[in-house]
Amino acid sequence: MNALAILLARVYEWRWVVLPPVAGVAMMAMIVGALVAAPREIIEGEVQRLMYLHVPSAVTMYAAFGFTAFASVMFLWKRDMRWDAAARGSAVVGVFLCGMVLATGAIWGKPIWGVYWSWDARLTTTLILFLIYSAYLLARSVAGPLDEQAARFAAIFAIIGVADIPIIQMSVRWWRTLHPQPIVFQTNPALPGEMLIVLLIGFIAIFALATWLISLQTDTERAAQRVSALRAEVDHREIA
Amino acid sequence: MSVLMAVVGKDLQLAWRNREGWLSAMAFATIAVLTYSFAFDLATGDVRPLLPGVLWTTFLFAGVFAAGQSFQDEVDDGTFDALLLSPVDPTVIFIGKLVANLIALLIIEFAQLILATILFDVGLLTPQLLGIVLIGTIGYVSLTTLLATMGGHVRGRSVLMPVLALPLLIPLLIGAVRATGASLGLEAGTGPWMLLLMVFAAWSTLAAVLLFPTAVEQ
Repeated sequence: MNALAILLARVYEWRWVVLPPVAGVAMMAMIVGALVAAPREIIEGEVQRLMYLHVPSAVTMYAAFGFTAFASVMFLWKRDMRWDAAARGSAVVGVFLCGMVLATGAIWGKPIWGVYWSWDARLTTTLILFLIYSAYLLARSVAGPLDEQAARFAAIFAIIGVADIPIIQMSVRWWRTLHPQPIVFQTNPALPGEMLIVLLIGFIAIFALATWLISLQTDTERAAQRVSALRAEVDHREIA
Repeated sequence: MSVLMAVVGKDLQLAWRNREGWLSAMAFATIAVLTYSFAFDLATGDVRPLLPGVLWTTFLFAGVFAAGQSFQDEVDDGTFDALLLSPVDPTVIFIGKLVANLIALLIIEFAQLILATILFDVGLLTPQLLGIVLIGTIGYVSLTTLLATMGGHVRGRSVLMPVLALPLLIPLLIGAVRATGASLGLEAGTGPWMLLLMVFAAWSTLAAVLLFPTAVEQ
């Protein structure tokens, strides 16, 4: 366990060396691939190229929210404020990606469905996720960075939010569904080869970018915690 | 068991003493139903398509509003900390608050059903609909009660409560509105929606009971 922790800390120290170039190169490759290299989709036309941004963002968003829940469980277990910072950092990036998914989906929906928004099951679920994690960030931000009780409340809220997702899925699926069915995650992908490769690059790009942003945001939250601890200490010494 | 009864008795007594709080929730629900009836002109034509939504949004808003204040007196007087120090399982403390909130909300909702029956001339007091209201209320009251403990000491709590609670309660709202609509004869079968409501009620009660001790530990 200890060796694993040391190894993970080593790997984490490499984030500044590894993540920016990987994210940058992959983003470039994704943009070129999506706009130039990938073939034009016959039925949907140019707007289909948004898929290379939309699908990786959606999957990475789920990973980010999943990590928020994991970090929240770890925080409740270990009571280490670093997990609180990680949960917040991951939630910020998740909410950002969720907004990106909703925006690209709306832009794609207008020419294809004829409307920007429909109350389809997946769209509704994504919107509710956006609301839940925005509420999480709001709830956490009303108290100071070092407020252990507020961190605990926020962690509980994040865990309930994640546990609510299957029930939300179930309810809105029964309600109505219209979204295209998954065509990528099958044993025989229904996408042509070039499209699949560009999509794969998109996954690497968005995932690397999100990981880097989460680590930056987590560092920022850590810095805020330290500043607040220092400020408390200064106040304490001034009184003494 | 006797401890549980004592805690439930204490919370019911508190709810009774805090009558103004519950009465204002009741007044809020009444005003909401009346406001809807003016806004949607529910006085004319067939109101049944709109009625499930009107009733459940009223119930949820009143419930969130009422739950938000249910811990306030105890937190203000410091008796809540004293209660946590006493040799009582936190789960029991939570269940006491839950039962008191549930009973008070059921009374409010029953009054609204009577009011809507009179105002809109739709038979709402059927055993099936009362069952839906009961299960739906159990489903949301456990989550709102848990969230109320969490918001107890935070500024701007009254605004934060609905923002936190309502996104989590959307599956409940969908299920409850559909089941109510089905029981009013708008669509076929309450079955799947009742199942959804029961799953939600079981899940939210379990989650709230399990997480409450963590939420209040000092």
